[in-house]
Amino acid sequence: MARNITMIEAITEAMAQEMERDDRVFVMGEDIGLSGGVFKATAGLYEKFGEERVLDTPLAEGNIIASAIGASMVGLRPIAEIQFADFITPAMESLVQQASKIRYRSAGGYGCSLTVRICCGGGTGGGLYHSQENASWFVHEPGLKVVMPSTAYDAKGLLLAAIRDPNPVLYFEHKKLYRTAKGDVPDGDYTVPIGKAEIRRQGRDMTIVTYGYMTGLCLEAAEQMAKNGVDAEVIDLRTLSPLDKDTVLESVRKTSKCLVVHEDKRTLGIGGEISAIIAEEAFDDLDGPIVRITGPDIPAIPFAPPLEHAWMVNTEKIVAGMEKLAAY
Amino acid sequence: MASKSGRAVAELETEKSENGRKGGNGRELMLGLYKMLVKCRMCDEKARILFRQGKYAGNFYSGVGQEATEVGAAYSLREDDWIAPSHRDWTSNIIKGAPLNLCFAQLFGKVTSPDRGKSTPAHMGYPPIHTITPASSIAGQLAVGTGVAFGLKKLRRDTVVVSFFGDGATSLGGFHEALNFAGVHKLPILYICQNNLWAESVPLRLQTALKDLSDRAKAYGFPGISVDGNDVMAVYDASTKAIARARAGEGPTFLECKTYRWYGHSEIDPAKYRTKEEVEAWKKRDPLVLFERVLRDKKLLTDESKANIAKEITQEINEAVEFAEQSPYPDASELADHIWAQE
Repeated sequence: MARNITMIEAITEAMAQEMERDDRVFVMGEDIGLSGGVFKATAGLYEKFGEERVLDTPLAEGNIIASAIGASMVGLRPIAEIQFADFITPAMESLVQQASKIRYRSAGGYGCSLTVRICCGGGTGGGLYHSQENASWFVHEPGLKVVMPSTAYDAKGLLLAAIRDPNPVLYFEHKKLYRTAKGDVPDGDYTVPIGKAEIRRQGRDMTIVTYGYMTGLCLEAAEQMAKNGVDAEVIDLRTLSPLDKDTVLESVRKTSKCLVVHEDKRTLGIGGEISAIIAEEAFDDLDGPIVRITGPDIPAIPFAPPLEHAWMVNTEKIVAGMEKLAAY
Repeated sequence: MASKSGRAVAELETEKSENGRKGGNGRELMLGLYKMLVKCRMCDEKARILFRQGKYAGNFYSGVGQEATEVGAAYSLREDDWIAPSHRDWTSNIIKGAPLNLCFAQLFGKVTSPDRGKSTPAHMGYPPIHTITPASSIAGQLAVGTGVAFGLKKLRRDTVVVSFFGDGATSLGGFHEALNFAGVHKLPILYICQNNLWAESVPLRLQTALKDLSDRAKAYGFPGISVDGNDVMAVYDASTKAIARARAGEGPTFLECKTYRWYGHSEIDPAKYRTKEEVEAWKKRDPLVLFERVLRDKKLLTDESKANIAKEITQEINEAVEFAEQSPYPDASELADHIWAQE
């Protein structure tokens, strides 16, 4: 049975249900137990499952991840939380030198069935260090899977898929979507496949490839442009790595035009990768350049509201990109 | 400094060791320790020779001079116990029971090595004996090993982890985070710090303000002990006590083993930053020679039995090297294998 719930409720539900179903699953991170998480993503779990399975860790992201890796090596299924993507940097050694490589360097002898939940994204006045969206760092790291849902339905299904995946999965949660992304979410067990994009809006005239918080903005922009006779297809990647390039290429071959939209900074953002793939594999199908609407190459999102607004991608900027592409 | 050889040996002669399958009575134990010291020494020296002969590329990180720290710490481990080795602990695999064939195949990067030639020569792990294939990241292994101990405790096992690392590793943030966590949760782990006074070419005085690295343990709320790392019985004695503590759920121990590596940081490091005098002084405290004296005093070793031990090990090594040389390299088609677990 489906109920209309928020993304964050869907996330909490996924963890609670999986912890019921599978004794090996436990949660660890800062402020996740007694406090239920700074956004309340783990609310109620400590009361229900106790400290043994809902652990408040020391303030040490590197150790949070390294301990979770080790625990997964003896058969447990940890869900480690990184409170803000901006604070994932102390965990780079653990993620990039250990989690992503331990299976490879041991030729499958050791593995890492770790799920890392990371709260990311800007647009809430969080400033330089509570707004970063740095998923692309990890897309560049073979051996890690990277997902970012945009709907409450996908949030629950992808998290369950991530926990059950025997590989390390980085699960990014956009803080702006926690309570604004609402939708029908089944109360039972289901998964959303990792590695599969979803077409949110069918269209003929251009393909918009996007993910996360930007998905909703792209759909708004598509509705606006539909009034001008431009019928856009909007693809929500859902998984950034492994990328579902088949869905993207099939769409681009149909529409002949592509706009990539991401909140993250421009240079070496995932838009660059998607553009290269399309240019390599669908060159003959293109009727216009691949346009990227992205965050700027500026060190961080500054605090003052006019500056934050100038930094963030919004519907107007997406519409401008669509108009540019529609002119071809 | 704890425990001199004489006292530990006297205790062992009259008691059965309760730790692990290699305990037995004092005499068996001492001979076993000695043989393992010799095996590690001979394998290590052979690994060096093979590298210098160009039989394998990359690099090798010799532990010659430090054997007692590894043998003393790991000898009594059970089959289910884990070791988190770093780059200088190739021989810890031997102590834990890895077949020599695999150890030498590892050096050569052959497909018959446990990681099918993926990891570098000295960075060996072998899952059936629970030695964790290390990254080169200093203290990275220690962090993952701490995680394994965390998992083992959650599973309510009495399995323990022994983590090997050097003086340099104790400066890294990851070291601090791991030990702090281990202290909070009384994890079943023994941290063996092989303080050989040099972190590659950086002397201890530039590494830390401390003289005894065991002082660091106080910050994490568990015991820190310093021992003579070249006295295998001292290391064994302190280690078995720490392992028993860990098994009983009493938490971690930090055991600083003061020792010295005879050769450079690696085989391409001439170690000119150290003085000849310092090296010679430590060579006079060769852990094998020191223990040999103890055994001879106890009439446990003669010229003949010593020669037999060496002969047996030489034979084993020669067969292993032959195996490694005859083994093929991995095929290029394996490049992208083993990135993902299949669901």
